[in-house]
Amino acid sequence: MNSESSNLREFVFDCGLRNGLHARPASHLADVANRYGAECQLKNLRNGLEGDLKSVLAMIAVDVRAADRCRVRVEGEDSEAACNELRRFIEQELPGCDEPLAQVAIKGNAEGLPRGLRSAGLQCHFGIPVSRGVGRGKAVILGSLALAAGQAAESPDSPEEERNRLHRALTQVRDRVQSSLVQNADITQRAILQAHAAILGDAGLRRELEERIALGRSAAGAVVDAGNHFAGLLNQSGSAYIRERTVDVREICAQLLEEVSEPGSQPPPIELDGPAVVVADILGPQQLLAFDRKWLKGIVLGSAGTTSHAMILARSLGIPAVAGLADATRLFAPGDEILVDANRGLVIPRCPAEAWRFYERERQAYCRREAVLSRFSMAPAVTADGRVLEIGANVSSAVDARHAFANGADGIGLFRTEFLFLHRSTPPSEDEQLAVYETAVGAAGGRPVILRTVDVGGDKPLPYLELPLERNPFLGCRGVRMYAGHEEMLRTQLRAVLRASAAGMVKVMAPMVSSLDEALWFKHQVALAKSELLARGAGFDTAIPIGAMIEVPSAAFILGALSAELDFFSIGTNDLSQYFFAVDRENAGLAELSDVRHPGFLALLKQIADELGMLGKWVGMCGEMAGEARNLPLLVGLGLNEISAVASEIPALKEKAAHLSAAGCRKLLAEAVRCGTATEVDRLLCGSAEVQAPRPLLDAGLVTLNSASRDKDEAIREMVDALYAAGRTDDPQRLEDAIWAREAVYATGLGFGLAVPHCKSDAVSANSIGVLKLKHAVEWGSLDGKPVSMVILLAMRDAGPDGFHMQVFSRLARMLMDESFRARLMSIADRHELVSQIGEELNAAVAPADEGQANGATQPQGSGVHGTDEVKWARIQG
Amino acid sequence: MRIVAVTACATGIAHTYMAAEQLEKTAKSLGHHIKVETQGAMGIENELSEKDISQAEGAILATDIEVERAERFQKIKTVRVPVQEAIKDPKGVIAKLQG
Repeated sequence: MNSESSNLREFVFDCGLRNGLHARPASHLADVANRYGAECQLKNLRNGLEGDLKSVLAMIAVDVRAADRCRVRVEGEDSEAACNELRRFIEQELPGCDEPLAQVAIKGNAEGLPRGLRSAGLQCHFGIPVSRGVGRGKAVILGSLALAAGQAAESPDSPEEERNRLHRALTQVRDRVQSSLVQNADITQRAILQAHAAILGDAGLRRELEERIALGRSAAGAVVDAGNHFAGLLNQSGSAYIRERTVDVREICAQLLEEVSEPGSQPPPIELDGPAVVVADILGPQQLLAFDRKWLKGIVLGSAGTTSHAMILARSLGIPAVAGLADATRLFAPGDEILVDANRGLVIPRCPAEAWRFYERERQAYCRREAVLSRFSMAPAVTADGRVLEIGANVSSAVDARHAFANGADGIGLFRTEFLFLHRSTPPSEDEQLAVYETAVGAAGGRPVILRTVDVGGDKPLPYLELPLERNPFLGCRGVRMYAGHEEMLRTQLRAVLRASAAGMVKVMAPMVSSLDEALWFKHQVALAKSELLARGAGFDTAIPIGAMIEVPSAAFILGALSAELDFFSIGTNDLSQYFFAVDRENAGLAELSDVRHPGFLALLKQIADELGMLGKWVGMCGEMAGEARNLPLLVGLGLNEISAVASEIPALKEKAAHLSAAGCRKLLAEAVRCGTATEVDRLLCGSAEVQAPRPLLDAGLVTLNSASRDKDEAIREMVDALYAAGRTDDPQRLEDAIWAREAVYATGLGFGLAVPHCKSDAVSANSIGVLKLKHAVEWGSLDGKPVSMVILLAMRDAGPDGFHMQVFSRLARMLMDESFRARLMSIADRHELVSQIGEELNAAVAPADEGQANGATQPQGSGVHGTDEVKWARIQG
Repeated sequence: MRIVAVTACATGIAHTYMAAEQLEKTAKSLGHHIKVETQGAMGIENELSEKDISQAEGAILATDIEVERAERFQKIKTVRVPVQEAIKDPKGVIAKLQG
């Protein structure tokens, strides 16, 4: 580290940032460097590029990608202190300044279009869906952020005047950014504004500007030149992420240019006065934030960047956005009515009425689905055979907790308290923590809140803990292991947790427990915190449950001993799987090796759940495995007391649980652990008929009377939407395609004004009969050439034998050949009556001799979700 | 007359059974004796035995797909029609057998 001159120091590091050294981490690094007088240089040893560590822009131009080896060289009076601090920062804090890798989004295409849009013969453009949603409005076309100085550049005043003009502009733009920062509480927006403030104060940018003015350029000319210089440097980066930062430089320089130019020489800002879709080649984040949110309905970008700051903001603000439409600003005329479908990556100009209609109907279907889900989300999750499963939420803040309970969480299964400890220079005080925990407990309203004590270590280092550097932090001093060296920090947290327990149902949980000694030590710390509070006279729940994460395999094999000391357990599948498979979960290339549906991992989970079940201990699961709906049959099969997932998944998990058979799930799990590979387990999951509790083939929710569908396309789509709303298909588009594939063989119009479309598809999750009566008869290609006014859909799962349902379908098909039965169906104008009529006649036909079969095929009393009829019916099905 | 028939459509969910129903109903109303085997999603139902076939004067194969065990009908007068035709015009299909 020391070299020949006493004032020159250097060290080498490998970049640990997955997105490379981009603007935000670089701005933190520049902050550190700027605290010292010494000159600080960064050299990328891969490409030989060099830059000033005090300049964000210069550092970005060095093009440091993940794992690049770099050298830092510091020279000057205070070089020793600067070098030490830079080294500490780069090794300990810089890795925490990154963010997750951007999802690779796929460009929309014509094959992906739903039939209703394909058949409308649309003229549309495809791009990359970046921020989901559908929006429509008049096109507002933005000029490019290309920098052109105009007249001002050609006739500079004296360098002194130009310099003053430039400094005024820098101050004004910086003040504007600062005042938006003060007004803005949103974390995403603040981070981006802070990055802009950093660019404005950037030493490299200032130097470039000053040098040009000294050479006799005008302020405007200097801004244009410097802006283009840095934009050019960033554009050469090998990282798309860094190339997208060009927009930020351009935007800031455009703002400076506006300030230094004659009034009127730059176009005025655009004010939206009605629903608008903004179309631009590139868009700066401040441009986006300046638009009236009320009117900004969508964004269409020419550039393909999905991680530009504007796109990050669009996602966080929920504005539908499609990127990567080449020549976007020339495709549309200002004022064109544009529809942005950012679910499918599609932009429709001069949107025809048919497309409006399609999207309006899709919106209605979505609302119906939401209404059904909300009924489930507010009730406990109970399987069809009566097994209760608590569905909790994983949260990191009090705001998250409130959001989770609004989504129907039965509790907080995991409060990751370490987020209170990150990005600060001292740990949070007892009162500070208490305020957060109490807010969460208040939002819980008596439901349980599991507070996990701070889980930090090598992967999430805290500057004030001074943890030793480790070669393999995930196998190092993290979780409960680091508490011994920071007892006071732990006890402060435990006191805050205990005090919060006075206000509701709080449980405390230790991370990374691997031995009985750790569990005993943790318990002892809780006892010490209790006596400290008693001495103070503070109130708390004296019987607060104490638990541990099961995330280290060794803990899974001493459950008897742990259970004697602890009250509950929660399986942390993220860490448990990476320790079990010996696979770093950050290594995307190895992801296949750590599939949580690997039969070996399932066997481990089963062993844990079985043993804790026998010991009578409460056991939950947090971690990503619990949040993925397709794993639910396996988790129900484990017999867990609780699963804890991201809040937005809770309604769908509760609905899915309600339709499962716990007995079937147990059988499935028993089979799964005997499989050889995760692929075999996946096949079992798809193919098993037993895990789904039988649902009525028909209920009132599947009947639509007075349908306004105008043609066969719409009628079929409407029936598919009804199945989707009822949670009977996870993939409506694939179901629709399956029905049309059958229609392609020959149309299913039988004559007599009746059509019977049908399919057998794995897009169907519950066998269903749909009924649709049309206000106006539609053409169907019927045998008698006449239009159709009643449609009966038969949708069959493509999994396992289901004799009884098939018998019902075939019986119904035969009955439809009976003129008087058809006449009865046609004449009934009430949904519930229609359901009971079909039900009664079908039951009589399927099993005329058995009285017990009454109500067998349908659920006469309408759409009750957990009605007794369904239970009875389920029994008959078995 | 004594008739045997097989119905089989592509998905085996609806048309197989509708055609069977039409043929049964119509044959009875015309005073014929008929037995219809369905080859649908539930597999073969109401299977025709060797005796059923040998006693029959003709067979109707109302199918959109390959009939399973078609060789059973080699020695008997056979009419082949698409499933739809049996649904739309069962009388006409039966008449073909008589003609």
